[in-house]
Amino acid sequence: MRNRRRKGWRRVFNGVNLATLLVFLFIVLPLYWMIASSLKTQANVGATPPQYFPHPLSFENYHVAFTQYTFGTYILNSVIVAVVATVLVLVLGTFAGYALGRLPMRGKFALLVALLMISVFPEIAVVSPLYLLLRNLGWLNSYQALILPYAAFFLPFAIWILRNYFLGIPHEMEESARIDGASPVRTLWSIILPQAWPGLFTAGIFTFTACWTEFLMALTFNSSNNFRTIPVGVALFGSQFTVPYGVIFAASVVAVVPIGILVFVFRRSVVSGLTAGAVKG
Amino acid sequence: MTTGTTTTGVVRPAPSRPGREDVFRRQLARLGWGFTAPSLILIGAVTIFPILFSVIMSLSNVNVTGSGFQLSGVTGSNYSILIHSDLWRYALTFTIVYTVITVAVEVALGTLIALVLERLTVGRGWMMALLLIPWSMITVINATLWGYIYNPTYGVLDDILSHLGLGTPVVLGTPLPAIIALMVADIWKTTPFVAIIVLAGLVMLPQDLYEAAEVDGANGWRTFWRITFPLLRPTIALAVLFRVLQAFGLFDLPFVLTNGGPGHSTTSLAILGYNTMFANFDFGPGAAVATSTAVLVLIGCLVFLRVFRAQVGREG
Repeated sequence: MRNRRRKGWRRVFNGVNLATLLVFLFIVLPLYWMIASSLKTQANVGATPPQYFPHPLSFENYHVAFTQYTFGTYILNSVIVAVVATVLVLVLGTFAGYALGRLPMRGKFALLVALLMISVFPEIAVVSPLYLLLRNLGWLNSYQALILPYAAFFLPFAIWILRNYFLGIPHEMEESARIDGASPVRTLWSIILPQAWPGLFTAGIFTFTACWTEFLMALTFNSSNNFRTIPVGVALFGSQFTVPYGVIFAASVVAVVPIGILVFVFRRSVVSGLTAGAVKG
Repeated sequence: MTTGTTTTGVVRPAPSRPGREDVFRRQLARLGWGFTAPSLILIGAVTIFPILFSVIMSLSNVNVTGSGFQLSGVTGSNYSILIHSDLWRYALTFTIVYTVITVAVEVALGTLIALVLERLTVGRGWMMALLLIPWSMITVINATLWGYIYNPTYGVLDDILSHLGLGTPVVLGTPLPAIIALMVADIWKTTPFVAIIVLAGLVMLPQDLYEAAEVDGANGWRTFWRITFPLLRPTIALAVLFRVLQAFGLFDLPFVLTNGGPGHSTTSLAILGYNTMFANFDFGPGAAVATSTAVLVLIGCLVFLRVFRAQVGREG
């Protein structure tokens, strides 16, 4: 509509393409800097003037991150916490999202608004009482110390996403299952769920990303080295005076790449999830 | 729906007595609460109960001992400490100013990026995917990366600035540059998020209005302010709400990048609350910081919902 045909170089160097190039560089240059620095030798990470292109290429930092530092443990902790919390959120969220989307409950809308407000509540408001509670239970430095708060905190948003998906599934099949005498749980399992998997997927990616990146609670509840997640491990790497940037970036590349690939491959789900509120809200 | 069809194709009559349908609906509602209960119990136990507990803590003398803690008396002293503390007032001002500036820049820049990408004909999907990468990045890692860029001895920023003849400032060593540096790191990470939301809203706008505007000879600037912006307002409002709430809880970025410094210049409310509680073990005043932050967020949220709803009502 707006793209009139132009000839030769003007078609390539038009305003839109140049602006896109700027946006591209704005995002990519810092990412390039992280990856490039992770591939420098330890001496070259602190070179002045900085090396714009790593030479020689070295995997020293990657080796050090997993041998001298216990970065493998941090990844394992992050994976355990994020996977269990995400599964918990999806199971609970499916039932709640189905009920709030499809069943005739009173006060449904008020409940949904309350859930939305909880999902945006500042974490700092709950960290200290939870800390004291977990301490009394002897649960500081344990997986459940993060799994339960993460599941509770990220559940409301997942319920919203799932509810929006359930709302969009046609009622006819559900009706006929009901008339055939299927129980509501069975109807949910064999009629609704197979159609709702994109919603489950979107909610899953969101919850996983949120768990993977959370810092304040992980720092407060699980600060011992054996239970640190990736963000805490990265933040507390090294001492106050020397920051081993090369090692941190090697570790960061390992932490960022899987989730980056996940988000990249399933970008449609992620975008639809990001805008779920905008469409239905 | 009054009639249903079985798999054999026999049409059944609707339930004759209204009472039966009522009973059925009540059963379904009960089932609904049954399905929702586990979620509500978890959320209540891990978020609502602690929030209430935090309010109680902020109103009493908290004594944390080696193995547990004691609450005693009802007191307003935690709040009076807060109100008379220069640091709290600074943190409040800093958090508000930081939120307003970063969100304003992010929304303006994000909208601009969305407008550009909407016109892009080739590789739009790839650009969208690229925008998602900063959003999915761990904030702590983002902070570390920018710390390396700003480093006064081997940072790439000072190298570029010196090539441009602008000297080699110690960016994180002086208050104003440190605040700006923090904002830049934040803007890099979250502008793409705003751009994605706005772009998704932009794609769904009805095309006929633009054709009419073109027929009327409206220029691009006029078309944007008269058509695009009013239609996009709910989408932008949503992005603003998300971002404001997130920015108000600012913690990860200053914790890693500046540790609240130099001096106290980048101490946000969350940093102050964290330090009060977990560095000084003053849980009473810390709870007061946390509770007052939560109340501010709640008030902001309610005001926003009111304004936003009124606006939607006017347009729709």
